[in-house]
Amino acid sequence: MSDSVLFRRLAKSYMAFILTLMYVPMLIVALASISKSRFFVFPVRRYDMKWYENTFSSLQIQDGFLTSLTVAFCVAVISVTLAVFGALAYARYDWRGKSLFQQLLLVPVFFPQSVLGLALQLWFNSFGVVMSWEATVFAQLVWIAPIVTLIISIQAFGYDGSVEEAASDLGASRWQVFRDITIPLLSPGIFSGFMFAVLLSWGNFPLAYFTSGADVTIPEWLYGKMIGGYTPMVPAVGFLSVLAGALALAIGFSLKAFSGHKDNK
Amino acid sequence: MPAEPIMELRGVDKYFGNLAAVNQITLAFEEGEFFTLVGPSGSGKTTLLRMLAGMDKPTRGDILLRGERINDRPANWRPTCMVFQSLALFPHMTVGQNVEYPLKCRGTSPSERKKRASRCLELSHLPISYYDRPVTTCSGGERQRVALARALAFDPEILFFDEPLSAIDYRLRKTLEKEIKDIQRETKKTFVYITHSLEEAMVMSDRIGVMRDGGLAQIGSPHEIYSNPVNRFVSEFMGEVNSIAVKRHEGGELWCESLGATITPPSVLDESFSQGTLMIRPENMHLVNPGEARSTNVFSGELFNEYVLGSRIQFQIRCNSDTFLVERLREAGMPKSGDQISFGWSPEDSMLFPE
Repeated sequence: MSDSVLFRRLAKSYMAFILTLMYVPMLIVALASISKSRFFVFPVRRYDMKWYENTFSSLQIQDGFLTSLTVAFCVAVISVTLAVFGALAYARYDWRGKSLFQQLLLVPVFFPQSVLGLALQLWFNSFGVVMSWEATVFAQLVWIAPIVTLIISIQAFGYDGSVEEAASDLGASRWQVFRDITIPLLSPGIFSGFMFAVLLSWGNFPLAYFTSGADVTIPEWLYGKMIGGYTPMVPAVGFLSVLAGALALAIGFSLKAFSGHKDNK
Repeated sequence: MPAEPIMELRGVDKYFGNLAAVNQITLAFEEGEFFTLVGPSGSGKTTLLRMLAGMDKPTRGDILLRGERINDRPANWRPTCMVFQSLALFPHMTVGQNVEYPLKCRGTSPSERKKRASRCLELSHLPISYYDRPVTTCSGGERQRVALARALAFDPEILFFDEPLSAIDYRLRKTLEKEIKDIQRETKKTFVYITHSLEEAMVMSDRIGVMRDGGLAQIGSPHEIYSNPVNRFVSEFMGEVNSIAVKRHEGGELWCESLGATITPPSVLDESFSQGTLMIRPENMHLVNPGEARSTNVFSGELFNEYVLGSRIQFQIRCNSDTFLVERLREAGMPKSGDQISFGWSPEDSMLFPE
């Protein structure tokens, strides 16, 4: 056996090891959700799907699911809209204060989220804003919009700005340039930004915890049940939540592949 | 009365901070001419073109279109169109969509768009089968043609070209140069072309403007600029040249220190002339046979290098501390490296620039 073969095998085993470390916990969650006993013991003695039945029939969970979905959708749409213009300002145009803008934009990303959540709660309180899912949308925007801006900026850095000038030179109005050239060229970034925003919002706990008031998102529901009243519905919801994220990605990418296919025909 | 120029620059300056990229340029383009701006990198050619196209505004001075001041008219309101150095094709569109774009902006109907775009593709020698290809799958030369077709589809009164051929290989460039010139003849539109390649300028232009440090050093026909450059810069820019530092000498002659000899000037010296540079193009130099009787401007030196330039050959001759270039047609019995040879030039073929 030559050295390079040995090396390749070692590298493969190492990769398998890392992947196992990453995916075993999720597998455990899945196992925990289908064990009959209320508390998880390994190996599982008897399997039961009743926790899933309970999960699907629980109004509380349906409610949380709807709230999480609404928040994620609103956050994604608003942050992408803000980020498109932010990214153009960030990457494409020269203006006074641009470098300050570039630096300030990053600050919320690095701020500890629990502190950010608390700060926003105090801020909302002082304005008399009632905590609700709408407040959560706002809170998550503070964190997610900069991230999406950075993602779209990468796309904006990557294309040749003279195409916009060329379009204008060919008689396109500002709006036509934006619609026909800028947006299509940014679209890969817009797509990734949207997916990121949905997933970050979907899994976000600290910001929702401080700002959602009486509304409960899925991560908040999980947290509540972990503290008091654990049942295997917790891993069941957790696992469903992972599946939902995977499904969202799958749908997104197949849509993208489909539209890309259409363009290249 | 001469026809009104189609476009005119009057005392145009463009500053970036304290840097004058374009400095006091006054220039008029005639209807239907092929005008080329040449100059080294950073001489202000592109800045000038961008102001003409409406992408930059002059700091001072006026830009006129058929006599009307258009300084503040943006690019999309000018009847001009530019072929960019990067070509700036829309990468997310097909060839046809690219060419149709200016018509689409104007609200032309789809069937009319297709008809006119096809005609433009034909004019720029691109097969109609390319119509539905994504533009990203085209080669460099094909992209050139798409960019040209797109500019023609706009049907501008003036077309600007910002060094579009600089990234193309030599043979294709030669072909495209001719095609661009042919299209200009066929469409009778005014073309304003930028290049740093002298050869490109000579092949295509009716008139050439040589730019230096933001100003215009000389305007004239290719022949005028090549044969009668106004100064040393233009003469050196327009091609290889032998330059000799000379001083006034008694009897209306010139004295060259490095050759230690007198030289006959091209014409009677000006009263004010005291010293300057004498320039002779390599193709104006002769080889002098040992027996040949010639009195003036003949020197000898050692031939130390020869370059074959297709049908011609260039000799490099060392003479004291100077190196001379002599270019001749290739024929049998030419001298070889290491030979001692004599060379010279007719006084009227040299150019004298005072300093």
